Amino acid sequence: MIFRWLLACLAASHFSLALANDGHSDDPWALLGKAAHAARDLSYKGIFVYQSGSNSRSIEITHMNSGQGEYSRIVMLDGTPQEVLSQGSNIVIFSSRDEKVVIEKRRGKNLFPALLPANLDTVRTSYAARVSGSERVANREGVIVLLEPRDEYRYGYRLLTDKELGLLLKVTIVNQDNEVVEQIAFNQLNLLNMKDMAWFKPKVEPGKSYVIEEEIPASIEDSPEVWSLGQLPPGYRQIDHIKRLVSDKKATVNQLIFSDGLSSVSLFIEPLVKGARPKVGQTTVGPTNFYASVKSGYQVVAVGEVPQATVAQIANSVHFK
Amino acid sequence: MKDQISALMDDEVTLYEAEYLYTALKADGESRECWMTYHLIGDVMRGSPVLSSDLRQRIMQELEKAPAVLAPNADMSPTAQRERKIPVLWSVAASLAAVAFVGMIVHQQQSQPADEITPLEIAQSLPTEYLHAHQSVAPSSAAYYIQAAAYSERSK
Repeated sequence: MIFRWLLACLAASHFSLALANDGHSDDPWALLGKAAHAARDLSYKGIFVYQSGSNSRSIEITHMNSGQGEYSRIVMLDGTPQEVLSQGSNIVIFSSRDEKVVIEKRRGKNLFPALLPANLDTVRTSYAARVSGSERVANREGVIVLLEPRDEYRYGYRLLTDKELGLLLKVTIVNQDNEVVEQIAFNQLNLLNMKDMAWFKPKVEPGKSYVIEEEIPASIEDSPEVWSLGQLPPGYRQIDHIKRLVSDKKATVNQLIFSDGLSSVSLFIEPLVKGARPKVGQTTVGPTNFYASVKSGYQVVAVGEVPQATVAQIANSVHFK
Repeated sequence: MKDQISALMDDEVTLYEAEYLYTALKADGESRECWMTYHLIGDVMRGSPVLSSDLRQRIMQELEKAPAVLAPNADMSPTAQRERKIPVLWSVAASLAAVAFVGMIVHQQQSQPADEITPLEIAQSLPTEYLHAHQSVAPSSAAYYIQAAAYSERSK
């Protein structure tokens, strides 16, 4: 009798274990890892909407990866025409203006739905993750993963990952007061099953002139830096440094990019020009916080979709030698 | 013809060697404009070899579709020929002349009266150039999509 009871217990515990292991849907980090890879490995086409305050934009994305690397084309459907073509980490942006099209080259962005970095270690140190229910978006079932900041230097992320594909369906960024700062969500999503690359080209506007807006790589303008960085907010590290030449070619503006794996901040350092009116203080525009100060004849400005404390600390970390 | 244009874009043939080809292309206004555009896009893509070969292939397909008058213009004067060469160099000139957003900041600052050097609250004069520069370079995806909005506000 006891033996039989034990057997039943064993069977029951085995059964519940099997349920828990089903698609490891309880492990938030596994879901996020799957989301990071799905966005890069799958071929899909869809339309998503970006929202921040009263600002809203519809964007069409075509992403293909048939084992030959990633190709994508992103088209802004509302407002000023703009396209982003990318292959791997090479990105070319075409922005249409009144009588010209400006071409910009960029590298390595984590664009939605590939918002999460492939390596989640940096995200893990700054955010706690947990699974929190489900939601249906763009005719697809999703699992909600909450990324809660471990301190006051970053916002929270509510990520909806596709139950079947793993792909991110929706991202909501909320501030300390739980107010929505930004939101991106698919309202249409389809998998692609094709090898044809005819879609991978910009729309050419014959009547307009095309001009390149170039940045100067740090390696070209190799002047020694007159500043150093002190204590950064926890979890943030410098991921890029861009130098831009001003029009008279006498001075450079330095743009340093910092990230905690999800959010990012730009820090601008430039010498004050004679007769210039320096900017100081702080302000908020939509999801973006600004912090400006003047130090040793330099204008320092930090800009980012992060809490005010983060831009302030990054700007204040600059010390001149 | 297709191969020759392709060679031209790859810088394997100089423009002087392909004069007749260029003339032929020039004969049709629209396809000339397209060619210039394609050339510039080719320049941009050249930094990433795989991308450029891929894009180039499609450009060639587009060119095949575009109407082109093949008869060279026999009575073209040397001066006219020289003038018509300029647009090719234009793509290089345009990239050299491109002034980064920073130029605008400096210009704005210099246009201020020299005696007004007391600091200005950043809230009172929003630096959209910084915002644009941040959004176009920062790797965070969400903010990237308001770039278009920032552009349209600025261009007004």
